Amino acid sequence: MSNNSIISNLINICGEKNVSNDASVLEAYSSDMSYVEAKAPLCVAWPSNAKKIEEIVKLANKLYFSIIPISSSAGPRLHGDTIPQKDNCVVLDLSRMKKLLKLDKKNRVMMIEPGVTFGDIIPTLEKKGLKLNIPLHPRASKSVLASTLEREPVTIPRHMWDSSDPLLCTEVIFGTGDLFRTGTAGGPGTIKQQEKAGIAQLNPMGPTQFSPYRVIQGAQGSMGVVTWATIKLEMKPTIQKVYHLQSDDLQELLDFHHDLIKYRLCDELLILNNLNLACLLKQTPQEINNLAKELKKWNLIYVLAGRGKLANDKLEYLMGDIADIMEEQGLDPSKEKEIINDTNILRVLRQPDTDSWRMRLKGGHQDIFFLSNFERIPEFVSIMESQNSYDLGVYIQALNLGTSHHCEFNIYYNPNNAEESKHLKENFLKTCTKLMDAGAFFNRPYGPWAKEAYERHSASTQSALKKVKKIFDPNNVLNPGVLCFDD
Amino acid sequence: MDEEEYERMIQRCLRCSICKWVPQIQVKSQKYATICPAMDEYNFHTYSGGGKIILALSYHLGRIGPSDELRDIVYKCTECGGCAVSCKFLNTLEPLEIMCEFRERLVKDGCGPMPAQQKYIEAVKKVNNPYNEPHESRKEWLPKDIQTDPNSKVLFYVGCTASYRRKEMAIATARILNAAGIKFRLLEDETCCGSPILRTGVKDAFLESMNKNLDAIEALDVDTVVFTCAGCYDTFKVDYPLHRKYNFEVKHTVELFDELIQDGKLKLTTEVPLTVTYHDPCHLGRNAERYEEWDGDVVELMPLVNINIPKKPKRCGAEGVYDPPRNILKSISGLKLNEMERIMEYSYCCGAGAGVKSAFPEFALKTAQIRLDEAEDTGAEILVSACPFCSTNLQDAIKEKGSKLQFYDINELILMALGMDIKKVKEKAAEVA
Amino acid sequence: MVLEEDTFKEFEKAVGVGNVNDGEVITDAYAYNWCMEMFNYMDGKEPLPYSSRPKAVILPSSTEEVQKVVKLCNKYGIQVKAQSTGLGPWNCVSSNNSIVVDLRRMNKIVKIDEKNLYCVVEPYVSGAQLQAEIMKYGLNCHMPGAGPQVSPLASATSMNGPGFTSPSTGHSSRNVLGVEWVLPDGEIMRLGSWGMKNNPDWFNGDGPGPSLRGIMRGWAGAKSGLGIFTRVAVKLFPYPCSTDFELSGHSPNYDFKIPDFMRLYVMDCKNFKRLDEIIIQVEKEEISFMCSYLSGLAVMAIFANSFEQMMELMAVGGMKAPLVVIIAARTKREFEYKQKVMDYILEKNKLANIIGKQYTPYPVFYAEALRSNLGLHGFIATGGFQSTLGQCDTAKMCLNSATLNVPAKQLFIKKGAVANDFGEGVWMTSYESGHYFHAESPTMFDQTNKHSVKGTAQYFERSNEIGLVKHLGAPFFVEGDRWHDMFGPHMHNYHLWLRKIKEAFDPNNIADGGFYITPGKDKKGALKK
Repeated sequence: MSNNSIISNLINICGEKNVSNDASVLEAYSSDMSYVEAKAPLCVAWPSNAKKIEEIVKLANKLYFSIIPISSSAGPRLHGDTIPQKDNCVVLDLSRMKKLLKLDKKNRVMMIEPGVTFGDIIPTLEKKGLKLNIPLHPRASKSVLASTLEREPVTIPRHMWDSSDPLLCTEVIFGTGDLFRTGTAGGPGTIKQQEKAGIAQLNPMGPTQFSPYRVIQGAQGSMGVVTWATIKLEMKPTIQKVYHLQSDDLQELLDFHHDLIKYRLCDELLILNNLNLACLLKQTPQEINNLAKELKKWNLIYVLAGRGKLANDKLEYLMGDIADIMEEQGLDPSKEKEIINDTNILRVLRQPDTDSWRMRLKGGHQDIFFLSNFERIPEFVSIMESQNSYDLGVYIQALNLGTSHHCEFNIYYNPNNAEESKHLKENFLKTCTKLMDAGAFFNRPYGPWAKEAYERHSASTQSALKKVKKIFDPNNVLNPGVLCFDD
Repeated sequence: MDEEEYERMIQRCLRCSICKWVPQIQVKSQKYATICPAMDEYNFHTYSGGGKIILALSYHLGRIGPSDELRDIVYKCTECGGCAVSCKFLNTLEPLEIMCEFRERLVKDGCGPMPAQQKYIEAVKKVNNPYNEPHESRKEWLPKDIQTDPNSKVLFYVGCTASYRRKEMAIATARILNAAGIKFRLLEDETCCGSPILRTGVKDAFLESMNKNLDAIEALDVDTVVFTCAGCYDTFKVDYPLHRKYNFEVKHTVELFDELIQDGKLKLTTEVPLTVTYHDPCHLGRNAERYEEWDGDVVELMPLVNINIPKKPKRCGAEGVYDPPRNILKSISGLKLNEMERIMEYSYCCGAGAGVKSAFPEFALKTAQIRLDEAEDTGAEILVSACPFCSTNLQDAIKEKGSKLQFYDINELILMALGMDIKKVKEKAAEVA
Repeated sequence: MVLEEDTFKEFEKAVGVGNVNDGEVITDAYAYNWCMEMFNYMDGKEPLPYSSRPKAVILPSSTEEVQKVVKLCNKYGIQVKAQSTGLGPWNCVSSNNSIVVDLRRMNKIVKIDEKNLYCVVEPYVSGAQLQAEIMKYGLNCHMPGAGPQVSPLASATSMNGPGFTSPSTGHSSRNVLGVEWVLPDGEIMRLGSWGMKNNPDWFNGDGPGPSLRGIMRGWAGAKSGLGIFTRVAVKLFPYPCSTDFELSGHSPNYDFKIPDFMRLYVMDCKNFKRLDEIIIQVEKEEISFMCSYLSGLAVMAIFANSFEQMMELMAVGGMKAPLVVIIAARTKREFEYKQKVMDYILEKNKLANIIGKQYTPYPVFYAEALRSNLGLHGFIATGGFQSTLGQCDTAKMCLNSATLNVPAKQLFIKKGAVANDFGEGVWMTSYESGHYFHAESPTMFDQTNKHSVKGTAQYFERSNEIGLVKHLGAPFFVEGDRWHDMFGPHMHNYHLWLRKIKEAFDPNNIADGGFYITPGKDKKGALKK
């Protein structure tokens, strides 16, 4: 089947305005900030609803073209997972599917399409007195749904009851072109009928004896195209108090951090090194460097929150209990220096970022992130520091009720400096593999990490994933080349 | 348990496995959470209290027939009753009673008891004791310096094990009675209480033993019978009245001596600087609770829901003899009592009971070793109990395991606290043996 | 001997002498289970409490031994049903060509990871055992309503998993981290970070990439229809109050020193509309250790240890929509705050807490609440008990479901098949501070009475149909071909996907799928590859 035929079929489905193979359009989808080799897609299509996506996926199975679903077209995209790796790739850009289908305060849930961004949703939720557990100062143009599908770390570990949170139910078009709904959304009945029965698509598990949402999540678009999802929300706090504890000793902060999560005492909870905290709070390289110098190397940020009439009482109890813990641990509360304005911290913790805070220092960054257990965090920091000659940002985020920790290293560099870029590119994967060899769990293996990560994983995992892929996308039409699906 | 009740109960096991554990809210550690020695040793669910209820049902329905395999499984149970205590925390089944009834049925069908058990039952019939020792040497344990009073209203029923195997317990009891000034007598013609027979389901032989004993005692002017053997005590206290009423009081020595200590008649003046842990014998603990008479009606409250009017007493082991031995130990100056995790009504069995020691000696030893582990973990140097059968099995296990624990009967500790030289008492026991 | 001699010997070689038994005495006990009579009747069989008799029972002691057993099953074409603590008919074989793998010998707490707030357990560690050990670290675990005597591994990997403490300890399925799993083809699968070749650890069960936890189980588990789980890491939670646990007295009338910072509230919300509003108000405050709606009769049951005692509580049973909340705290400040919140909610909604006024439970109630023993009280009325319905989403849906179920149940009460709870017997719990709710309808029947068994089975089926027709979600016993084939077409044909999973992961149909799904067959009747 010729490329033209594919395009004309797509036009039939989406309309002429919603399909493009214009070179300038394609260029934006051909590369990103990662080291994945640039390659242009065949065309880009902007479907407007699930029906059209269903038709396109069926068509892909018939005409043997590939589909790369993208939700955050505005970029900058970072991980290479949406760069075509095969010929005949059609980018399915879902960013125009921007409907907030439902916002249900009573049940603390919203139903959104893939194009809804953090920039769109955060103000809406705030107005309704609700709050979403968000990643650290996410890009305003980033798709909320994509972020949850990619299991991006969120900043309130005590509200993350499962690694899949805050993603709940989904509507998905599998690689076969079949529409499916996961969790209680699966039915029986249409969403309207379910709603009449009182269902708000809160239960992500199922239907019955499997939970397909878990295999869609983390699949980099290779299992199904999600057309909407319900997302878990929390009540917006009435009062928040920010704490910032500094130390040159990471372990000291980690120990205290452990008790905060163990007893579920705080909302946002994270550790940043001085450079990353400065990058988050300041705009220019000079401001960033100045603040970084003022700060101690390690910074623990936590937020106490109270809600409703008794918000102050809650804060009082939390402050009292935390003071007791600090005393038990011999921590000096005077380490809480007011170098930083609380409002600024709250802003970065609660609001989306208009650009990307990771770009401010040098104009470019390469990120290495993985999961670790609690004890090995300092060891991984040491490995990273020993391997790195660049400005290094560090971000440690407890996840999943404190059972795992996202370790993120942001290597800041100037992309316009050819030598620096070349050197980094040469060493980047080496550093990653060194970390993998030491047991860093690259559970979101993007681009070239995938091969390395799966090689370091038991063969049965790959074999099982391939079986799953074969079930849901037997012709490998969805984002071929990612993860472990290409032999 | 009548036919109707048996049939009703064997259909109602929930297969919840609660019978394998101490009562759920009493679980204090992973290591010492279990209650069923047979499950701990043989692992298949079939060996549990519930598993055996299922077997009773399967047998009743004719799904399985009498066989050596069935007999072995049913008899690999010490009838310690731990399962029943746990089950009855909320339920109304009677796993132990079902077990006893099931054994009786197997015996009737020629599928029980075990050959080794049959042997000792024959011995009881022949020489009045299961050890096949000469009946005439039954009183040889009695040291010459012990005072007995043939006119006393207190009878010391010694039992076969203390008479022939654990003479130190008989001697200690006698010496304490003397020290307290309690006059006592012995039966001229004591015969086995029948406990080891009853537990195997051979009812007629048991009844024969019971009648011999009761006839002999009732022929005397006795108002109290004292036991140092928990098994004899339980059998007299709990089992005899189900078949034949009697009009004397039964007391285990721990009850009597506790009273004497409280009343100041036994003065424990010598310091005994030992750290001990106490093993509750099943026959003195949970199983020593009498059946309360209940003459009520089962009334259908609504379809499918029946209620007992008046409320039917639930026999859960609460009335076992738990405080007296502990009171005694606490009365001994310098002695420190470290409790094990599984105590009182949810105490773990020593492993010897219900014919297991004779039919499955390895099983008995392994169970005792589990109990020793628990005793050792308390940090105690002495394991103390109040039953000659527990004593034998636990001491066998101490030897087998090479444990540093020493075993004493509680009466021996009383002797020490009375200032008597326990070594001499033991030597004396050896001498008379 | 049921197995061929050579086959027996091979199994014996795999797990050791004494750990394989194919005699009728051992195996018949494994054919029996709670409610089997009801499931038999629903399958058109005689309502006896026995399944087919397994060909043998095998007791492996390690993952490797399980693997050997499963490989032998593949070699000889014998199906395998695994069980941990073994409560319920889903532990029984569904064909006369199955063996039971009893995981009883795998009873280690492999790890208590205080720093990473999880533990790793083998199948035969009971909830009570695990809790006893983690309490030493000030931690708590989730336990299903089935009670503390059941296996946390089974609940996490293979069953459903609502429990009385779900507001603070979540759902079994969502607490899973690393997993060790012998697939039906005998391969060993290690999920997440436990599958790494370098420094494997249990702290995460997802990835790399998609999470195979979604294949392993759903809301309900696969009931061993997709392999055998040998170890699992599950999340731990802070123990809600002081871990001093002081019981005295004797069973069943234990006395208990109620922890200083623990308080029970039982409030009659009068009707479901108000109950729905109030339970959400309570849960949004994130203060409860336990937060359940129980019908009046069920409230009576949780406070009683015998039916006679339960009957003494008629005054408590008269409540129309009782909400049972327990708050517990580690510190005085926390406790005072939580009490203030409850006081505020009570005042705002003009509710009264009957505890301490109209009724004071025996202290042992608090011990049972802390040790997750309350679910077992469901058995005290008739001894026969099963939950029908079983739905999970909003409180409103759960309460709708309860309401719609009343006439169906009443019909069978009238027929004398189900014990009379006025049709209202329901337990509903919040999960994760009210982010979702679960409801089921405890139903009392007499398992020894054929009329009652048949009627209860018919009611059970009717309840499931209500779920389907009224769009209340698939009830939690939608398992096995018949139910999947009934619900699937109304649910995006999920049953076809589930069947494909079964076919892909179990090419020889070795894992007994009686309570999961079985592979499709081609026109010649052969299994689809």
